[in-house]
Parts: sequence; structure tokens; C-alpha cells
Amino acid sequence: MSMTVLMWALAAMTLLGAADVLLTRDVMRLGLGLGTFLLGLAGYFAAFGFGLLALAEVFVYVGGVLVLVIFAVMLVHRERSGVPRLESRHDPLAAVAAVGIAALLGAALRPLAALDLGGVATGVDAVGAHLLGARLAHFELAGLLLLAALVAVVSVSGVERR
Amino acid sequence: MNAVFVACALFAIGLYGVLVRRDLIAILASVEVMIGAPLLLLVALGARLDGGAAVESIGLLLLVLAAAEAAVGLALLVLVARVVRTTRADELVEVGER
Repeated sequence: MSMTVLMWALAAMTLLGAADVLLTRDVMRLGLGLGTFLLGLAGYFAAFGFGLLALAEVFVYVGGVLVLVIFAVMLVHRERSGVPRLESRHDPLAAVAAVGIAALLGAALRPLAALDLGGVATGVDAVGAHLLGARLAHFELAGLLLLAALVAVVSVSGVERR
Repeated sequence: MNAVFVACALFAIGLYGVLVRRDLIAILASVEVMIGAPLLLLVALGARLDGGAAVESIGLLLLVLAAAEAAVGLALLVLVARVVRTTRADELVEVGER
């Protein structure tokens, strides 16, 4: 019963945050909506028993990417000397495409959704052993990708104004 | 509510945002929502199918990929705002046509 209530609360938090990202015209509310969405996701991870992943989501996304978004907004704000207004061009065809793809995904995943709900308990040591064992190549590739992204960001942000 | 259906709804919300939003900041945020959907799906199905450490390590690697994408995207956004003085996607198309 309590798990059901928790799942409903997390679903409401995640979907409302995502809807705020979609609908708001205020750039700071966009950041707030994104933060709510990401915290909801972290709550899901924790509820399913993936504590390390939930912690990483909070540190990397809420603590890192969201701060980066706010920095970018402040920089853009300073460059343009005006608060950006976030506008949308709502289109029925785009809505039909989005709802259609969601319906297709829902229909395809429906058999899996009917399985029994049950969390798993994983320890940090098991994840570490897996990352440095079976997934070592992926782990190294992820590190290489992060380095490449860092170099790309430094290179892109160092371009002089024309 | 079932996490699998929440993931489907999140993907739809993110996709609609990418299609209809005009500002690059909002488009990037919608992409983040889209990336969150498969991550939630992975975790929800991993919990049901007893994925354990494999799911958690794959999730961590996906987080790294998404963080790298966000960092590069935001750097490009700042560069575009600095050079062209706009972050609206439709105005960027007009600049490109000139």
C-alpha cells in the first residue's frame, strides 16, 4: 500500500516537473521544473533499490547539470541584456506524433509492465566489481568520452567573438 | 502509477517539447526529459527482472553520457548566444539562410 502511494507521488512529481519544462515561459521556472523532474527520477531509482544510481543522479544532474543550465542562462542573459522568453509553437501534428509514439511504446511494453513489482538490493561493491570486471571496456570508454566532452567544451567556449 | 507508462509519457512530453519549443534552452531541457525516460525504463525493468549490479552500472554509464551531452550542448548554446546574439531556433535558421 505504502509502495503504491510512493509510486503515485513519484509519478506526479516527475510528470509535473516535465510538464513545467514543456509549458513554462519563464527560464527560471524551467530550471525549477527540470530539478523537480530529476529529483522525481532519483526518487524512482531509490524506490527500486538502486541507491547508488539515485545518489549519482542527484550529484551529477541536480548538482551539476542543473547548475550548468543556470550558469548558461545567466551568461546568455548577460550577452543579450534581457531575460529570454521561452515561447512555443504548439502544433496538433506534433502532439499527434508524440502521443502516437507514446502509445506505441506503451503497447509494446505492456507485457513487461504487468510483471510483479519488486525492488532489488545492490551494493556499491557489486557495482564496482561489475564496472571494473565485465563492463571495464565501457567504463574506460565513458571516461574517454568525458575527456573528449571536456576538451570540446573548452574549445567551443574559447572561440572569440566575431 | 506504473513506472513503465510514466516513462512512455515522459518520452512523449520530451518529444513534444523538442518539436514545439523555439528557444534552444527549452529544447535542451526537453532532450533531458527524453533521456530520463529510457533511464527510468531501464531501472524499472531491471528491478522487475532482477538486474542488480548490471542495471546499476549501465545506468551510471548512461548518466555519464547524458552529462557529457548536456555539457557540450550548453557550451554550444553559450557560443551561439555570443556570436549570433539569439538562442531562438527559428531566428538561427534565418541567420543561416542569409
